[in-house]
Amino acid sequence: MAASKLQAFWNHPAGPKTIHFWAPTFKWGISIANVADFSKPPEKLSYPQQIAVACTGIVWSRYSTVIIPKNWNLFSVNIAMAGTGLYQLSRKIRHDYFSDEEVAVAQE
Amino acid sequence: MGILHTFWNSPIGPKTTHFWGPVVGWSIPIAALADSKKPPELISGNMTTVMCVYSALFMRFAYMVRPRNYHLLVCHVANESVQLYQLSRWARARGHSQKKDEDAGGA
Repeated sequence: MAASKLQAFWNHPAGPKTIHFWAPTFKWGISIANVADFSKPPEKLSYPQQIAVACTGIVWSRYSTVIIPKNWNLFSVNIAMAGTGLYQLSRKIRHDYFSDEEVAVAQE
Repeated sequence: MGILHTFWNSPIGPKTTHFWGPVVGWSIPIAALADSKKPPELISGNMTTVMCVYSALFMRFAYMVRPRNYHLLVCHVANESVQLYQLSRWARARGHSQKKDEDAGGA
């Protein structure tokens, strides 16, 4: 039974013999790279890049349910992109706009 | 007028998500272009390397998906170019800083 499930996966139109599998699978790298960059200081994060990553994640989650073949792998990876992008943005915004008071107080 | 009509009613035209997906996707190469004016120390080696492989794969994806999406293809060609450029800036800056450390250590 497991063998036939594996066969179904292997032969799926969006399966590992196709670009429909590998392109979205590799896209996880963007979220993984972003998670690795969670430890980067917020000064080194890029607003344009993280806004782009978050927005594309959101729009593409929709896109992946409308293309042929429907691609849930692509859907989940874009949800992850949106999540990590929004988190990085919140780190940078928090640093730039909400910890300034500490810096100002320290300088006084 | 005809070409506008064709565009408007295209299976990857502005009435479909196949159009707006790539429109938003342009934000990635445009962000990278903005970042290319900034000092290379701000470049993330992780993210840029991943982006290079990612756009290479998605150029193929855009060609094979149905409906075939040339808009998406062009977007990823552009991203591949700018990400490779950023990667070269990052590598060169890294090479310089490593060399400086060696010189300082050796001297």
